[in-house]
Amino acid sequence: MTRLAVVVVAALACAGAAYGAQRIALPSPIAPLSAQPPLAGGASSSAENVAHSITASTNVAVAIDEAGAPFAVTATQRLDVRGLGDYFFTIGAPVLAVRAPAGSASAPGMRTDSIVWAGFNPGERLLVARATLEPAKAAVALPIRIDVSGDTITLENATGISVGSFSADAPRAPLLAYLARLRAEVGHGRAPLQTSIPLASTPANERVTVTAPLHVTGAIGPQRIDVMLTGRARIHGHGRVDLRVEPIEHVDEATAASGRALLREAIRATLTLARANQYDEFLGNPDPAGASRTVYTYRTASPPHAAPIAAVGNHRRTWVETALAVVALATALAAGAALWARS
Amino acid sequence: MRRLALLTLVIPLLSACGGGHDATATKRLLVVVNAPFSSTPYLGRAIENGTRLAASQVNTTGVRVGDEHYSLTVRTMDTGLSPARAVANVRRAVSDGAIAIVDEGTGVDASWRLAARRGVPICIVFAGGQSLVDAGTRPDVFRIAPTDHGIAFRLAEYLVPKHLKVALLHDDSDYGTAGAKELRRAFARDPTSVAIDETLPADALDLSPQVLRARRAHATALLVWGRPATIASAITAARSAGWNVPFYAPPTGADPFVRQQLADHPTWVDGLTFAAGRLTAEVGAGPFTGFTARYVAAYGVDRVGVHTSGGSDVTEPPETPMYAYDFVNLLASALTKAGSTDPAKVTKALEEVTVEGANGDERAFNHSSHEGVVDDDVYFARFHDMTYAPVKDDPLSATLPTILQTTQ
Repeated sequence: MTRLAVVVVAALACAGAAYGAQRIALPSPIAPLSAQPPLAGGASSSAENVAHSITASTNVAVAIDEAGAPFAVTATQRLDVRGLGDYFFTIGAPVLAVRAPAGSASAPGMRTDSIVWAGFNPGERLLVARATLEPAKAAVALPIRIDVSGDTITLENATGISVGSFSADAPRAPLLAYLARLRAEVGHGRAPLQTSIPLASTPANERVTVTAPLHVTGAIGPQRIDVMLTGRARIHGHGRVDLRVEPIEHVDEATAASGRALLREAIRATLTLARANQYDEFLGNPDPAGASRTVYTYRTASPPHAAPIAAVGNHRRTWVETALAVVALATALAAGAALWARS
Repeated sequence: MRRLALLTLVIPLLSACGGGHDATATKRLLVVVNAPFSSTPYLGRAIENGTRLAASQVNTTGVRVGDEHYSLTVRTMDTGLSPARAVANVRRAVSDGAIAIVDEGTGVDASWRLAARRGVPICIVFAGGQSLVDAGTRPDVFRIAPTDHGIAFRLAEYLVPKHLKVALLHDDSDYGTAGAKELRRAFARDPTSVAIDETLPADALDLSPQVLRARRAHATALLVWGRPATIASAITAARSAGWNVPFYAPPTGADPFVRQQLADHPTWVDGLTFAAGRLTAEVGAGPFTGFTARYVAAYGVDRVGVHTSGGSDVTEPPETPMYAYDFVNLLASALTKAGSTDPAKVTKALEEVTVEGANGDERAFNHSSHEGVVDDDVYFARFHDMTYAPVKDDPLSATLPTILQTTQ
């Protein structure tokens, strides 16, 4: 009886292994590839039984100094909330201050590392929060880095990340079908779905570097800028930086010939979508199924200067001054002692 | 004589033993209820009972603060609705080491500074004046009760689309004056909907002249913001003149006193619509019903003193106790979050914690708002047969169930 049980268990294990070798899940096109963005754990909803449908759009304004370093970050998030009922949303963010600009149906609250919304939605409600963020904490989740050095301005896509992946032989048809579906879903603004595909060989682990494509438009001084930034771009010129950066969610038409290459293309497409989706959710969305969009603007500005430190604080005596002071002190003490002795 | 001598020896010894035991037992934290027990006993008791009920529940497990466990002790202090007494009470509470003060609201304009010196949080659970609470300038003052601002704006939001010509009547009490200010702001969006703005004497028994003036101003609705007696007098004046104009009121419209005053003419109460903080949440009446059952088990039913046409005793749902109850639960959560019994640290932690309120709703404060009842939580209910039910022509109110208000 025990032997039979062992045989049955072994057979099931083999079947499981064989099945596992035949089909494998592709990476999710929406799962984040790193801890942030969204900032500070993202957004969540905890309102009782009600699931609201929410579209989130966020404008992140980054003020940079003459060298291109960010020194102030503000984010304005608009939540278009649909559905009757109570809401209690927590939007993670390293927030220093928050207020409701004109047009918001309610005022946001603030807690350590979060913006909070609470109230009742009569059906449709627009919630708008303008938050001043801690620059150091927000800057690490920004999509581009700017470096101004003389007449060269370097724009660097900062979204790149190395993630675990795999390669294998695979039949072309299901991959072509999935890529076509993915392309259509993204084209229509729908949340893309994950899938699994059959494999024709044992998968081998590998690492790939994924970058969210960024559409950068605007101006640097008098020069107009319109580039698709996937790596680094050097621009010759000078003047004030005024750039708009949008993560692009896009799937190219399938081009690879072999099933192995097509699988690589599909994996890269899903991971790239996931990365772009992350940067579209800078402040997150309390509705996990809701659409999110984030636009980043980078503008040169004058950083607030710290009050100048009083010159006396930095003054150091020279050795001559020190020696004179010691002599003066000694003379004064000697004179004082003499006076005291005669008194 | 010997026995007496023996007793004088034994009693101090026993006391010492007791003291030794207390030293190792759960430590105590003082919560003071500062309320008008002598002048409006119903309100004072309501606040005290809500506080005590929550404290007794918290004490079943104790409050964990770091590695220590604490229990809450409740002490009452009577304000008699006197700001001077209220301030003196807060001074004493602070010097006695209170961890928090549950307050009706009288005198807070002065008392908050005394509490702020030691960082002791004050939570207002009744008064709705806008200026009482400001997270920026009065960091130790919190409120769990609908604000006058929220009530006024929700009333305007509800009434303006009905294209009524509203007579804004308010009495000259502090409550009425504060309400009038908020009503003017709220109705400023559409001043054409206001027929007349009139001040009523709070102590007048007959308001016929003022009501007649509103009628002559072609008012098609009366919104009376004042003490319960003022509302009852205004209704009496209109109905006894045969004017069947609809009445609207702030939360005082639901005060038992209005129904007691009109008990001889129960139909006059029919149709009175008031705004108040919601008693139930999306999850339904379950949480509030459960809270009511615990409240009634501890303190008995609050009878209004009137009957329905079917002869059932009308009871009062424990709304004000609910706010005090929720604050004590927030306080317990904040103590644990702060990991300290330093009142200043507890005050800061109150901005970071959320609890499920007695009505099933989320109850919380934050850095920018110390209001535990948001304007959206204001609903409308209408009287019929001495009990009230949420109206159906307001999005929030239409989702709310009716709370049982009669003895079974």
